[in-house]
Amino acid sequence: MVGCASVAPPTAQIAVSKAAVAHAGSAATTEFAPVELQSAKDKLARAEQAMVKEDYALARQLAEEAQADARLAEAKSETAQAQKAARDSQDASRVLRDEINRKAQ
Amino acid sequence: MKAITMKKSLFSLTLVSMAVLAGCSTMPQSTTLDHARTDYHNAQANPQVVKLAPLQLKDAGEALDRANAAQTSKEDVKVVDSLAYVAKQKIALAQETALRKNAELAVSNAAAERNQQQLQARTNEADQANMKAAVAQQDVEQIAAELDVANAITQQQQLDLNAKTAEANQARQQTANAEANAAQDQANLAAMQAQLNELNAKQTPRGMVITLGDVLFDTNQAHLKSGGARNVQKLAEFLKRYPQRKVLIEGFTDSVGSNSSNQALSEQRANAVSMALTDMSVGRDRVSTKGYGEAYAVASNDNASGRQLNRRVEIMLSDENGNIAPR
Repeated sequence: MVGCASVAPPTAQIAVSKAAVAHAGSAATTEFAPVELQSAKDKLARAEQAMVKEDYALARQLAEEAQADARLAEAKSETAQAQKAARDSQDASRVLRDEINRKAQ
Repeated sequence: MKAITMKKSLFSLTLVSMAVLAGCSTMPQSTTLDHARTDYHNAQANPQVVKLAPLQLKDAGEALDRANAAQTSKEDVKVVDSLAYVAKQKIALAQETALRKNAELAVSNAAAERNQQQLQARTNEADQANMKAAVAQQDVEQIAAELDVANAITQQQQLDLNAKTAEANQARQQTANAEANAAQDQANLAAMQAQLNELNAKQTPRGMVITLGDVLFDTNQAHLKSGGARNVQKLAEFLKRYPQRKVLIEGFTDSVGSNSSNQALSEQRANAVSMALTDMSVGRDRVSTKGYGEAYAVASNDNASGRQLNRRVEIMLSDENGNIAPR
Protein backbone atom coordinates (compact mmCIF):
# COMPACT_ATOMS: atom_id res chain seq x y z
CA MET A 1 0.00 0.00 0.00
CA VAL A 2 2.83 2.38 0.84
CA GLY A 3 4.47 4.06 -2.13
CA CYS A 4 1.73 2.86 -4.45
CA ALA A 5 2.15 4.45 -7.92
CA SER A 6 -1.54 5.34 -8.04
CA VAL A 7 -1.06 8.02 -5.32
CA ALA A 8 -0.93 11.52 -6.81
CA PRO A 9 2.01 13.82 -5.83
CA PRO A 10 0.94 16.02 -2.83
CA THR A 11 2.20 19.21 -4.43
CA ALA A 12 -0.39 21.45 -2.78
CA GLN A 13 0.26 19.94 0.65
CA ILE A 14 4.00 20.48 0.26
CA ALA A 15 3.35 24.15 -0.62
CA VAL A 16 1.06 24.62 2.37
CA SER A 17 3.60 23.02 4.72
CA LYS A 18 6.41 25.15 3.30
CA ALA A 19 4.35 28.29 3.91
CA ALA A 20 3.52 27.15 7.46
CA VAL A 21 7.19 26.45 8.29
CA ALA A 22 8.25 29.76 6.78
CA HIS A 23 5.54 31.60 8.73
CA ALA A 24 6.58 29.91 11.96
CA GLY A 25 10.26 30.59 11.41
CA SER A 26 10.41 33.90 13.28
CA ALA A 27 13.00 34.79 15.91
CA ALA A 28 10.39 34.39 18.69
CA THR A 29 9.56 30.83 17.64
CA THR A 30 13.23 29.98 17.52
CA GLU A 31 13.43 31.22 21.11
CA PHE A 32 10.20 29.81 22.56
CA ALA A 33 9.59 26.55 20.55
CA PRO A 34 12.93 25.49 19.07
CA VAL A 35 12.22 21.70 19.22
CA GLU A 36 8.91 21.86 17.33
CA LEU A 37 10.31 24.29 14.78
CA GLN A 38 13.33 22.12 14.14
CA SER A 39 11.06 19.04 13.84
CA ALA A 40 8.90 20.88 11.27
CA LYS A 41 11.93 21.87 9.22
CA ASP A 42 13.37 18.33 9.28
CA LYS A 43 10.07 16.75 8.24
CA LEU A 44 9.58 19.26 5.44
CA ALA A 45 13.07 18.44 4.16
CA ARG A 46 12.30 14.71 4.34
CA ALA A 47 8.97 15.28 2.57
CA GLU A 48 10.78 17.03 -0.24
CA GLN A 49 13.27 14.11 -0.48
CA ALA A 50 10.30 11.68 -0.63
CA MET A 51 8.84 13.78 -3.47
CA VAL A 52 12.08 13.39 -5.34
CA LYS A 53 11.89 9.62 -4.74
CA GLU A 54 8.25 9.78 -5.87
CA ASP A 55 7.17 8.22 -2.57
CA TYR A 56 4.15 10.47 -2.55
CA ALA A 57 2.32 8.78 0.34
CA LEU A 58 5.32 9.30 2.64
CA ALA A 59 5.78 12.81 1.28
CA ARG A 60 2.16 13.62 2.17
CA GLN A 61 2.51 12.14 5.68
CA LEU A 62 5.73 14.06 6.40
CA ALA A 63 4.31 17.26 4.92
CA GLU A 64 1.21 17.02 7.09
CA GLU A 65 3.32 16.35 10.21
CA ALA A 66 5.60 19.25 9.30
CA GLN A 67 2.59 21.54 8.95
CA ALA A 68 1.20 20.38 12.33
CA ASP A 69 4.62 20.88 13.97
CA ALA A 70 5.01 24.34 12.45
CA ARG A 71 1.55 25.44 13.60
CA LEU A 72 2.20 24.09 17.11
CA ALA A 73 5.60 25.80 17.24
CA GLU A 74 4.00 29.09 16.28
CA ALA A 75 1.20 28.61 18.80
CA LYS A 76 3.66 27.78 21.59
CA SER A 77 5.68 30.86 20.74
CA GLU A 78 2.58 33.04 20.78
CA THR A 79 1.40 31.51 24.04
CA ALA A 80 4.80 32.10 25.67
CA GLN A 81 4.79 35.73 24.53
CA ALA A 82 1.23 36.26 25.71
CA GLN A 83 2.05 34.71 29.09
CA LYS A 84 5.07 36.96 29.42
CA ALA A 85 2.90 39.96 28.59
CA ALA A 86 0.36 38.79 31.19
CA ARG A 87 3.05 38.53 33.87
CA ASP A 88 4.39 41.98 32.95
CA SER A 89 0.90 43.42 33.03
CA GLN A 90 0.11 41.82 36.38
CA ASP A 91 3.44 43.07 37.73
CA ALA A 92 2.54 46.57 36.55
CA SER A 93 -0.82 46.28 38.29
CA ARG A 94 0.84 45.20 41.52
CA VAL A 95 3.34 48.08 41.34
CA LEU A 96 0.53 50.54 40.74
CA ARG A 97 -1.51 49.08 43.61
CA ASP A 98 1.47 49.38 45.96
CA GLU A 99 2.07 52.96 44.85
CA ILE A 100 -1.57 53.92 45.38
CA ASN A 101 -1.59 52.29 48.82
CA ARG A 102 1.59 54.16 49.76
CA LYS A 103 0.03 57.44 48.66
CA ALA A 104 -3.16 56.75 50.58
CA GLN A 105 -1.24 56.21 53.82
CA MET B 1 -21.49 22.82 20.87
CA LYS B 2 -21.73 20.63 23.93
CA ALA B 3 -24.02 18.23 22.06
CA ILE B 4 -21.54 18.01 19.23
CA THR B 5 -18.71 17.38 21.65
CA MET B 6 -20.74 14.68 23.39
CA LYS B 7 -21.53 13.06 20.05
CA LYS B 8 -17.91 13.17 19.04
CA SER B 9 -16.95 11.70 22.36
CA LEU B 10 -19.40 8.86 21.93
CA PHE B 11 -18.18 8.37 18.38
CA SER B 12 -14.60 8.22 19.61
CA LEU B 13 -15.54 5.75 22.33
CA THR B 14 -17.38 3.68 19.74
CA LEU B 15 -14.28 3.69 17.61
CA VAL B 16 -12.21 2.64 20.60
CA SER B 17 -14.64 -0.22 21.30
CA MET B 18 -14.54 -1.25 17.65
CA ALA B 19 -10.78 -1.06 17.72
CA VAL B 20 -10.70 -3.25 20.80
CA LEU B 21 -13.21 -5.69 19.25
CA ALA B 22 -11.38 -5.63 15.97
CA GLY B 23 -8.05 -5.87 17.73
CA CYS B 24 -7.14 -9.36 16.67
CA SER B 25 -3.73 -10.65 17.62
CA THR B 26 -2.34 -10.12 14.17
CA MET B 27 -3.16 -6.41 14.18
CA PRO B 28 -0.23 -4.06 15.12
CA GLN B 29 -1.16 -1.44 17.78
CA SER B 30 -0.28 2.25 17.39
CA THR B 31 0.87 3.68 20.73
CA THR B 32 0.81 7.15 19.20
CA LEU B 33 -2.90 6.73 18.54
CA ASP B 34 -3.41 5.69 22.17
CA HIS B 35 -1.60 8.84 23.29
CA ALA B 36 -3.60 10.97 20.87
CA ARG B 37 -6.88 9.57 22.24
CA THR B 38 -5.80 10.22 25.82
CA ASP B 39 -4.72 13.77 24.92
CA TYR B 40 -7.99 14.42 23.14
CA HIS B 41 -9.97 13.10 26.09
CA ASN B 42 -8.05 15.44 28.43
CA ALA B 43 -8.52 18.40 26.10
CA GLN B 44 -12.27 17.79 25.95
CA ALA B 45 -12.39 17.60 29.73
CA ASN B 46 -10.66 20.99 29.98
CA PRO B 47 -13.39 23.66 29.99
CA GLN B 48 -10.90 26.37 28.98
CA VAL B 49 -9.94 24.50 25.81
CA VAL B 50 -13.60 23.80 25.01
CA LYS B 51 -14.45 27.45 25.54
CA LEU B 52 -11.41 29.30 24.18
CA ALA B 53 -10.26 27.01 21.32
CA PRO B 54 -13.41 25.36 19.91
CA LEU B 55 -12.29 25.51 16.23
CA GLN B 56 -8.87 24.06 17.00
CA LEU B 57 -10.47 21.32 19.11
CA LYS B 58 -12.88 20.48 16.27
CA ASP B 59 -9.98 20.33 13.83
CA ALA B 60 -8.07 18.05 16.22
CA GLY B 61 -11.17 15.82 16.59
CA GLU B 62 -11.42 15.45 12.83
CA ALA B 63 -7.71 14.56 12.62
CA LEU B 64 -8.23 11.96 15.35
CA ASP B 65 -11.23 10.58 13.44
CA ARG B 66 -9.03 10.13 10.37
CA ALA B 67 -6.40 8.29 12.48
CA ASN B 68 -9.10 6.11 14.01
CA ALA B 69 -10.56 5.39 10.57
CA ALA B 70 -7.11 4.36 9.28
CA GLN B 71 -6.72 2.09 12.28
CA THR B 72 -10.20 0.60 11.66
CA SER B 73 -9.47 -0.02 7.99
CA LYS B 74 -6.29 -1.75 9.11
CA GLU B 75 -3.95 0.51 7.25
CA ASP B 76 -0.22 0.31 7.79
CA VAL B 77 0.81 1.17 11.36
CA LYS B 78 3.13 3.88 10.03
CA VAL B 79 0.20 5.57 8.31
CA VAL B 80 -1.90 5.33 11.53
CA ASP B 81 1.03 6.61 13.56
CA SER B 82 1.49 9.57 11.25
CA LEU B 83 -2.22 10.50 11.32
CA ALA B 84 -2.28 10.03 15.13
CA TYR B 85 0.83 12.25 15.38
CA VAL B 86 -0.86 15.00 13.37
CA ALA B 87 -3.97 14.66 15.59
CA LYS B 88 -1.79 14.81 18.73
CA GLN B 89 -0.05 17.99 17.51
CA LYS B 90 -3.42 19.56 16.67
CA ILE B 91 -4.71 18.72 20.15
CA ALA B 92 -1.59 20.37 21.56
CA LEU B 93 -2.29 23.34 19.28
CA ALA B 94 -5.81 23.62 20.72
CA GLN B 95 -4.38 23.54 24.25
CA GLU B 96 -1.75 26.17 23.39
CA THR B 97 -4.43 28.35 21.83
CA ALA B 98 -6.47 28.15 25.03
CA LEU B 99 -3.40 29.06 27.09
CA ARG B 100 -2.62 31.99 24.79
CA LYS B 101 -6.13 33.35 24.93
CA ASN B 102 -6.10 32.97 28.68
CA ALA B 103 -2.88 34.96 28.87
CA GLU B 104 -4.32 37.63 26.57
CA LEU B 105 -7.39 37.83 28.80
CA ALA B 106 -5.09 38.23 31.79
CA VAL B 107 -3.31 41.10 30.02
CA SER B 108 -6.53 42.94 29.29
CA ASN B 109 -7.91 42.16 32.75
CA ALA B 110 -4.77 43.56 34.37
CA ALA B 111 -5.01 46.67 32.21
CA ALA B 112 -8.65 47.06 33.17
CA GLU B 113 -7.71 46.54 36.81
CA ARG B 114 -5.09 49.28 36.55
CA ASN B 115 -7.58 51.65 34.97
CA GLN B 116 -10.05 50.78 37.72
CA GLN B 117 -7.40 51.35 40.39
CA GLN B 118 -6.39 54.69 38.94
CA LEU B 119 -10.00 55.70 38.66
CA GLN B 120 -10.61 54.60 42.24
CA ALA B 121 -7.54 56.49 43.42
CA ARG B 122 -8.68 59.66 41.64
CA THR B 123 -12.20 59.19 42.96
CA ASN B 124 -10.80 58.79 46.47
CA GLU B 125 -8.71 61.93 46.08
CA ALA B 126 -11.71 63.84 44.80
CA ASP B 127 -13.87 62.45 47.62
CA GLN B 128 -11.29 63.47 50.18
CA ALA B 129 -11.04 66.94 48.70
CA ASN B 130 -14.83 67.21 48.69
CA MET B 131 -15.00 65.97 52.26
CA LYS B 132 -12.40 68.51 53.37
CA ALA B 133 -14.32 71.25 51.61
CA ALA B 134 -17.56 70.06 53.21
CA VAL B 135 -15.94 70.01 56.66
CA ALA B 136 -14.56 73.51 56.11
CA GLN B 137 -17.98 74.69 54.95
CA GLN B 138 -19.56 73.11 58.02
CA ASP B 139 -17.03 74.90 60.24
CA VAL B 140 -17.85 78.20 58.56
CA GLU B 141 -21.56 77.62 58.98
CA GLN B 142 -21.08 76.59 62.61
CA ILE B 143 -19.10 79.74 63.36
CA ALA B 144 -21.68 81.88 61.55
CA ALA B 145 -24.48 80.23 63.55
CA GLU B 146 -22.60 80.81 66.82
CA LEU B 147 -22.02 84.41 65.80
CA ASP B 148 -25.75 84.82 65.09
CA VAL B 149 -26.60 83.41 68.50
CA ALA B 150 -24.05 85.68 70.19
CA ASN B 151 -25.43 88.70 68.30
CA ALA B 152 -28.98 87.78 69.24
CA ILE B 153 -27.97 87.44 72.91
CA THR B 154 -26.15 90.77 72.82
CA GLN B 155 -29.17 92.40 71.19
CA GLN B 156 -31.50 90.91 73.81
CA GLN B 157 -29.17 92.05 76.57
CA GLN B 158 -29.14 95.55 75.09
CA LEU B 159 -32.95 95.52 74.95
CA ASP B 160 -33.12 94.28 78.55
CA LEU B 161 -30.68 96.97 79.60
CA ASN B 162 -32.72 99.64 77.79
CA ALA B 163 -35.91 98.37 79.43
CA LYS B 164 -34.30 98.34 82.86
CA THR B 165 -32.85 101.81 82.35
CA ALA B 166 -36.29 103.05 81.30
CA GLU B 167 -37.84 101.37 84.34
CA ALA B 168 -35.23 102.92 86.61
CA ASN B 169 -35.80 106.36 85.05
CA GLN B 170 -39.54 105.95 85.44
CA ALA B 171 -39.13 104.84 89.03
CA ARG B 172 -36.88 107.84 89.72
CA GLN B 173 -39.41 110.12 88.06
CA GLN B 174 -42.22 108.57 90.09
CA THR B 175 -40.22 108.93 93.27
CA ALA B 176 -39.50 112.56 92.42
CA ASN B 177 -43.18 113.16 91.59
CA ALA B 178 -44.24 111.41 94.78
CA GLU B 179 -41.75 113.49 96.76
CA ALA B 180 -42.97 116.65 95.05
CA ASN B 181 -46.59 115.67 95.68
CA ALA B 182 -45.79 114.80 99.27
CA ALA B 183 -44.05 118.15 99.69
CA GLN B 184 -47.03 119.88 98.09
CA ASP B 185 -49.46 117.94 100.28
CA GLN B 186 -47.34 118.77 103.29
CA ALA B 187 -47.37 122.42 102.34
CA ASN B 188 -51.14 122.37 101.70
CA LEU B 189 -51.75 120.58 104.95
CA ALA B 190 -49.55 123.08 106.83
CA ALA B 191 -51.38 126.01 105.23
CA MET B 192 -54.79 124.57 106.08
CA GLN B 193 -53.62 123.74 109.58
CA ALA B 194 -52.43 127.33 110.03
CA GLN B 195 -55.80 128.72 108.96
CA LEU B 196 -57.67 126.26 111.17
CA ASN B 197 -55.46 127.35 114.05
CA GLU B 198 -56.41 130.96 113.39
CA LEU B 199 -60.08 129.89 113.62
CA ASN B 200 -59.38 128.05 116.89
CA ALA B 201 -60.56 124.82 115.25
CA LYS B 202 -60.44 121.65 117.38
CA GLN B 203 -60.26 118.02 116.31
CA THR B 204 -63.22 115.99 117.66
CA PRO B 205 -64.47 112.47 116.84
CA ARG B 206 -67.04 114.08 114.42
CA GLY B 207 -64.37 116.16 112.67
CA MET B 208 -63.01 119.69 112.97
CA VAL B 209 -65.18 122.00 115.11
CA ILE B 210 -64.97 125.79 115.36
CA THR B 211 -66.70 127.23 118.43
CA LEU B 212 -67.93 130.82 118.41
CA GLY B 213 -68.65 132.02 121.96
CA ASP B 214 -71.69 134.18 122.97
CA VAL B 215 -69.42 137.17 123.29
CA LEU B 216 -70.07 137.55 119.54
CA PHE B 217 -73.73 138.15 120.20
CA ASP B 218 -75.52 140.66 122.38
CA THR B 219 -77.62 139.08 125.14
CA ASN B 220 -80.87 137.69 123.76
CA GLN B 221 -79.82 138.99 120.32
CA ALA B 222 -78.99 137.10 117.14
CA HIS B 223 -76.94 139.82 115.36
CA LEU B 224 -73.26 139.26 115.05
CA LYS B 225 -71.08 141.84 116.69
CA SER B 226 -68.19 143.28 114.70
CA GLY B 227 -65.63 140.98 116.43
CA GLY B 228 -67.78 137.97 115.53
CA ALA B 229 -68.03 139.21 111.95
CA ARG B 230 -64.19 139.15 111.64
CA ASN B 231 -64.15 135.51 112.76
CA VAL B 232 -66.89 134.66 110.22
CA GLN B 233 -64.81 136.49 107.57
CA LYS B 234 -61.87 134.14 108.23
CA LEU B 235 -64.21 131.15 107.95
CA ALA B 236 -65.57 132.44 104.62
CA GLU B 237 -62.02 132.78 103.26
CA PHE B 238 -61.21 129.24 104.38
CA LEU B 239 -64.34 127.93 102.63
CA LYS B 240 -63.47 129.80 99.42
CA ARG B 241 -60.04 128.26 99.46
CA TYR B 242 -61.28 124.69 100.05
CA PRO B 243 -64.44 124.58 97.92
CA GLN B 244 -65.07 120.86 98.55
CA ARG B 245 -65.68 121.53 102.24
CA LYS B 246 -69.18 122.17 103.63
CA VAL B 247 -70.29 123.44 107.05
CA LEU B 248 -73.06 122.63 109.53
CA ILE B 249 -73.80 125.53 111.84
CA GLU B 250 -75.23 124.41 115.21
CA GLY B 251 -76.75 126.87 117.77
CA PHE B 252 -76.89 126.26 121.59
CA THR B 253 -78.14 128.23 124.66
CA ASP B 254 -77.88 127.97 128.46
CA SER B 255 -80.82 126.78 130.59
CA VAL B 256 -82.11 130.26 131.42
CA GLY B 257 -85.56 130.87 129.98
CA SER B 258 -88.16 128.56 128.46
CA ASN B 259 -87.29 125.65 126.21
CA SER B 260 -89.18 127.07 123.28
CA SER B 261 -87.50 130.47 123.51
CA ASN B 262 -84.05 128.83 123.86
CA GLN B 263 -84.79 126.64 120.83
CA ALA B 264 -85.76 129.67 118.76
CA LEU B 265 -82.72 131.65 119.95
CA SER B 266 -80.30 128.81 119.08
CA GLU B 267 -81.78 128.58 115.58
CA GLN B 268 -81.65 132.36 115.05
CA ARG B 269 -77.97 132.53 116.04
CA ALA B 270 -77.06 129.66 113.73
CA ASN B 271 -79.00 131.41 110.90
CA ALA B 272 -77.20 134.72 111.66
CA VAL B 273 -73.83 133.04 111.03
CA SER B 274 -75.20 131.32 107.92
CA MET B 275 -76.46 134.61 106.49
CA ALA B 276 -73.15 136.28 107.19
CA LEU B 277 -71.35 133.52 105.22
CA THR B 278 -73.84 133.90 102.37
CA ASP B 279 -73.19 137.63 102.35
CA MET B 280 -69.49 136.83 101.96
CA SER B 281 -70.22 134.84 98.75
CA VAL B 282 -70.23 131.29 100.25
CA GLY B 283 -72.84 129.26 98.39
CA ARG B 284 -76.09 128.42 100.27
CA ASP B 285 -75.78 124.76 99.26
CA ARG B 286 -72.56 124.53 101.27
CA VAL B 287 -74.10 125.83 104.50
CA SER B 288 -76.77 124.17 106.67
CA THR B 289 -78.01 125.18 110.13
CA LYS B 290 -79.55 123.50 113.16
CA GLY B 291 -80.70 124.77 116.62
CA TYR B 292 -80.48 122.56 119.71
CA GLY B 293 -81.74 124.97 122.42
CA GLU B 294 -80.26 124.20 125.83
CA ALA B 295 -79.32 120.58 124.91
CA TYR B 296 -75.72 119.35 124.65
CA ALA B 297 -74.44 121.62 127.36
CA VAL B 298 -70.64 121.68 127.52
CA ALA B 299 -70.49 123.08 131.07
CA SER B 300 -72.64 123.41 134.24
CA ASN B 301 -75.55 125.85 134.06
CA ASP B 302 -75.31 126.42 137.88
CA ASN B 303 -72.80 129.26 137.63
CA ALA B 304 -72.27 132.22 135.32
CA SER B 305 -68.99 131.05 133.76
CA GLY B 306 -70.51 127.63 132.93
CA ARG B 307 -73.64 129.20 131.38
CA GLN B 308 -71.39 131.48 129.28
CA LEU B 309 -69.62 128.40 127.83
CA ASN B 310 -72.99 126.82 126.99
CA ARG B 311 -74.19 129.88 125.02
CA ARG B 312 -72.39 129.18 121.78
CA VAL B 313 -72.40 128.43 118.04
CA GLU B 314 -70.39 125.40 116.82
CA ILE B 315 -69.40 125.13 113.20
CA MET B 316 -68.75 121.52 111.99
CA LEU B 317 -66.36 121.30 109.02
CA SER B 318 -67.10 118.49 106.57
CA ASP B 319 -64.44 116.11 105.26
CA GLU B 320 -63.02 116.59 101.75
CA ASN B 321 -66.08 114.90 100.22
CA GLY B 322 -68.57 117.26 101.89
CA ASN B 323 -69.78 114.72 104.51
CA ILE B 324 -70.55 115.71 108.11
CA ALA B 325 -71.05 113.05 110.79
CA PRO B 326 -74.48 113.39 112.44
CA ARG B 327 -74.67 114.25 116.14
